[in-house]
Amino acid sequence: MKKSKIFGNIYTVLAFIFLYMPIAVLVIFSFNASDSTGNITGFSLKWYGELFSDAATLNALKNTLILAILSSIIATVIGTMASYGINKMQNKHIKSATMSVTKIPMINPEIVVGISMMLLFVFVGGIVGSQSSLGFGTVLIAHITFNLPYVILSVLPKFKQMDKSLPEAAQDLGCTPLQSFFKVELPAILPGVVSGLIMAFTLSLDDFVISYFTIGSGFETLPIRIYSMTKKRVTPDMYALSTLIFVSILVLLLISNLTSDKSREKMSKKAKKITKIVVGSLFGVIAAVTIVVFIVSASTETLTLNVYNWGEYISDGGEDTLDVNQKFEEYYEDWYFKKYNKRVKVNVNYTTYASNEDLYAKIKSGAADYDIIVPSDYMVERLKSEGLLQTIDLSKIPNYENISEQFRNPYYDNGKEKYSVMYTYGIVGIVYNKDKINDDDLAKIEAGEAGWELLWDEDYKGQILQFNNARDAFGVAMYSLGIDVNNATDAEWQKAYERLKEQKPLVQSYVMDEIFNKMEGGEAALAAYYAGDCLSMIERAAEAGVNLGFYYPKTNGKYVTNIFADAMCIPKSATNVELAHAYINYMLSEEPAVANAEYLYYGSPNKLVVNNGDYIDYLGDDYGVIYQEEFESQLDYMFETYAYRSLPDEKLKLQNNLWETLKVGSDSFDSGIYVICGVIAAVLIGFGVYCYIIKRKRRRLYWNTQKEASKK
Amino acid sequence: MTKKSFMQKAAAAPHVVWAVLFIIAPLIFVVYYAFTDKDGAFTFSNITELMQASYLEIFLRSLCFAFLATVICLIIAYPIAYFMAKAKPKTQKILIMLVMLPQWLNFLIRTYSWMALLEDTGIINSILGVFGIDPIHMINTSGAVILGMVYNYLPYMIIPLHSVISKIDPKLLEAAADLGCSPLKVITKVVLPLSVSGIISGVTMVFVPSISTFYISQKLGGGNFDLIGDTIERQFQTAYNYNLGAAMSFVLMLIIIVSMAIMNRYSGEDDGGVIV
Repeated sequence: MKKSKIFGNIYTVLAFIFLYMPIAVLVIFSFNASDSTGNITGFSLKWYGELFSDAATLNALKNTLILAILSSIIATVIGTMASYGINKMQNKHIKSATMSVTKIPMINPEIVVGISMMLLFVFVGGIVGSQSSLGFGTVLIAHITFNLPYVILSVLPKFKQMDKSLPEAAQDLGCTPLQSFFKVELPAILPGVVSGLIMAFTLSLDDFVISYFTIGSGFETLPIRIYSMTKKRVTPDMYALSTLIFVSILVLLLISNLTSDKSREKMSKKAKKITKIVVGSLFGVIAAVTIVVFIVSASTETLTLNVYNWGEYISDGGEDTLDVNQKFEEYYEDWYFKKYNKRVKVNVNYTTYASNEDLYAKIKSGAADYDIIVPSDYMVERLKSEGLLQTIDLSKIPNYENISEQFRNPYYDNGKEKYSVMYTYGIVGIVYNKDKINDDDLAKIEAGEAGWELLWDEDYKGQILQFNNARDAFGVAMYSLGIDVNNATDAEWQKAYERLKEQKPLVQSYVMDEIFNKMEGGEAALAAYYAGDCLSMIERAAEAGVNLGFYYPKTNGKYVTNIFADAMCIPKSATNVELAHAYINYMLSEEPAVANAEYLYYGSPNKLVVNNGDYIDYLGDDYGVIYQEEFESQLDYMFETYAYRSLPDEKLKLQNNLWETLKVGSDSFDSGIYVICGVIAAVLIGFGVYCYIIKRKRRRLYWNTQKEASKK
Repeated sequence: MTKKSFMQKAAAAPHVVWAVLFIIAPLIFVVYYAFTDKDGAFTFSNITELMQASYLEIFLRSLCFAFLATVICLIIAYPIAYFMAKAKPKTQKILIMLVMLPQWLNFLIRTYSWMALLEDTGIINSILGVFGIDPIHMINTSGAVILGMVYNYLPYMIIPLHSVISKIDPKLLEAAADLGCSPLKVITKVVLPLSVSGIISGVTMVFVPSISTFYISQKLGGGNFDLIGDTIERQFQTAYNYNLGAAMSFVLMLIIIVSMAIMNRYSGEDDGGVIV
């Protein structure tokens, strides 16, 4: 007996260690002095300070609370009414049908609930012709929908338990049905209502999957923000926030546990009163917060600019850099006041994507309304040809003259009307971990003779990262094979596919923004990526003691790699065109352009940047890497030969099919897992059959004895 | 009377309307998109496309991972639930709270934190390094993906199991022991059969999210173990192929319905067989 108790205790403790290990990691790293999860450099509270100056995170927190409060209250009202009605339903079939439909969002996988609602909203949005079918409204509807079953399932049993004669008595004594509901029934079901409300609130607070599919452009919740952060690196202020949330919930739960125990033991009447007061004040606080939020949001005129940009693609105010978006808000507010003598609040709503294809899917579906997007060259061409961009009125962008002449007519936008303004340009190269590359290859790299072949080198099996988007991954394969990326035949596409398939067993993972974390953490040896990002990785990795290097791959002594440009565009569906022009204009002025160029390590098309002394000093040796002479001297040729073009539909389809096949097909067929699976399944089935046989035997025995008994 | 019954019907009306608009209609759209092409013409091609070997492998893999995660959760959770149910009521309350507490932190950030633990240069390997043990490769393996599932959904197995086991009348256990059952037999012959309803709800609550997850495998599997959820997500967020995504969701729903039906039938016989 005692032995089993000790065993039980040890087992339970081990289980709790398992459950709390990741949380301990979060808490510890929220107090870490450096921002890497690799090493602890000292105790610091700076991330807690940083949290309260991180406007985007605080805004996301506010949005999450608003959404949770609104959706849980609405769901509670509808759900309580529904429970009342369902409880009174006479027809059993209707009742059970209603209940089954109600439970669907609980039983269905979250992802199916999410995409099914997205399909509905996008379809209806398409019919109505609205510019953006997703937004706050749709995510609110989605949250109410998945909250409803939880509310109903916690309220309905209370209605069932209630003595039915009570409301009848009340009505006999002269109450109207409504009065009897509020005076008799509501107090009886209140505990169910409250627990339903709390449950709905917490579910809504924590939801990611359903929000992810139904959220539009102008609204970001905390889980969505965490999601986009975990794609690159999570700044430790998010750990700080998690720690704060964790501790406050822990305290709340402890208080509620301790007080309820005490009061229940002593005075139950007083306890009831206290509960009533607590519940009442809870409702009061929630109502007050909602009202305040509405008043605040209604009282100031706010211009919102929805900017949709690549991850880590703007100087964001972290680590003493310039917060370009915030500066723009201030700048425009001042300018507006000077011009119209009227105050206005500008709000730049900045969200990020990881690949051109993600951006395309968002824009094409009409799911969101962005005012500024920053697609790459070939995507500008494609969006333009599909009529998804609007022309940019250059008269509203006086700073356009800062763009060097050679970047004003890029191949993807060389008509008379302009659809894009170049933001940055860059070249794809290979970033590598000096400590993980063998000496021969290092020598080769240093001699400037290394090419793409290192990405196919068996020595680096499991240490190679590859692009997680079709265009770039196929591009890498094609450059390495010497295939023309823009005019490849079907056979050549197939060849590139074979090349990627050959590489797949060597690849550690397919990444986009995740590469920052993996390379800076020393997790991988080699990766092809955009030069600017590689240089910023090298910089940050050095701080963490990881030694990274970078080179442009050569084929036959010549640089053969992708050159690309990213450009600011205004989608057709933009709602704030005026402000979008002002934003583009602002981005071309010296201060923000230099700040961005210093932050991004990409080539800038801006004359004021390239000749800026501070900038040149700041970059040091990197200046030569970014503005590589061999490229600069023949930029036109490079763009013409090595930049991606928008592919014709059939090639695009081929590319997507091949990519899909590459991604889903797995070479690392985990036979072990399947064998274990099969064995367990077989054991379970065997057990089931065994039980079935025993059951039949016993039943037969039972019937036989019954028969004998009845015979006698 | 008529006025009253009208009132009562009207109370459920908003919910019924809501359910038709936002529960049933979206599901109809899933089916609609699954059986049409880009131009809205009826087609089976989305479904036939899923019959390719590579997609079948994804379905098989998801089924397998989710199945293993569920079994592991059950094996880990059952003793915890059992020991918890034997503790004092006050301790039980605190333990339940402690089990649910991690769920209050967003699952994305908890999964991300596992990455930091499992990486080759991660926390676990650094600790092992202190003891002179060579780093173990854990991240980007199928084991890591299953671990992520087990970690995230374990509480959903513990709670229903605990609530069922704690309700078992201790007199039954005593009676069984008095009648000559060994402690092990008490568990297999009395506790286990009486907790079948908890097992079923626990298994459902772990299996459904595991088979449809799309984040865990991307983070802990490094994109090498595409599951159904990842493929669906890609169709909607990157590949812009709603029809194929809808078809996959449709098949996913079918898989879940079938698995649930099998389990309910099997477990129904199971509990009958042992109890009677």
